[in-house]
Amino acid sequence: MTKQVFLDNLKKRLAGMPEADLAERLSFYGEMIDDLIEEGAAEEEAVAEIGTVESVAQAILSDYPLSKIVKERIKPKRRLKTWEIVLIAVGSPVWLSLLIALFAVLIALYIAVWAVIAAFWAIFVSFIAAVIYLLIMGIYYISASNTFPGICLLGAAAVMSGLTVFVFFGCNAAGKGVVRLTKKIATAVKNRFAGKGEQK
Amino acid sequence: MDAQLKRGILDVCVLAAIADGDSYGYKIIKDVKPYVEISESTLYMILKRLETADMLTVRSAEHNGRLRKYYHITKRGLDRIEEFKSDWQEIMSIYRFVVKEENK
Repeated sequence: MTKQVFLDNLKKRLAGMPEADLAERLSFYGEMIDDLIEEGAAEEEAVAEIGTVESVAQAILSDYPLSKIVKERIKPKRRLKTWEIVLIAVGSPVWLSLLIALFAVLIALYIAVWAVIAAFWAIFVSFIAAVIYLLIMGIYYISASNTFPGICLLGAAAVMSGLTVFVFFGCNAAGKGVVRLTKKIATAVKNRFAGKGEQK
Repeated sequence: MDAQLKRGILDVCVLAAIADGDSYGYKIIKDVKPYVEISESTLYMILKRLETADMLTVRSAEHNGRLRKYYHITKRGLDRIEEFKSDWQEIMSIYRFVVKEENK
């Protein structure tokens, strides 16, 4: 791949990125390729050294804020005609409230997921309370010479402790899973918005 | 090398590469590569981060008929290097302790 083809492909892959920011990044990689060639590498070698178009695009996107990409995507690309502006203004009760509703739903969904995580932790806390209660009752029964029931309660306390440990690890894993999921969604949205010319 | 450790060190490596004088992208990679693996994309992110943190400044200069970006270290960048050096003095004495203990 030649330098120009590489840069053009990269530009197409990141077509949704603001012009100035994209140009800055393209010139960085272009400069790097030029320097490699100056140091004696063949053009194809130099381009290969940088990496594939896809991997470089991913690296650029991963470091680029999602909000900027979304803003760029919804900006009008050309001067709006008067009737278009009027139509948008007049129709705003409809599309604006729909947009707000959409965001409200998405945010509510996200909060709901975290609420589930919070519920898991609530279970964890109640398990701990159960262990403490069973321990106290067990000791009390034994001290009141009610040995067999007392031992049963202590046994139950032991079982509950084991379950509590499981719940603890479950809560942690679930929490981490949600964080990872959030990152994946952000990446997917960035890719969807930034990559107009991507190969499907 | 541990990923987290590597990330913290790369910033300082790049600063060290421009501490003695202005340098440019490809040269920085060439200087750092013998010591730690760094890709062009990684370097770009580091340079951007350092610029935001006021640890370096950028200027464009002509070279062989094209424009090249040169990076210049700031006082803050130099301070960061000093910080790194004293941090690692500590770590090295801990390392000597650990290795000594192992040999017992």
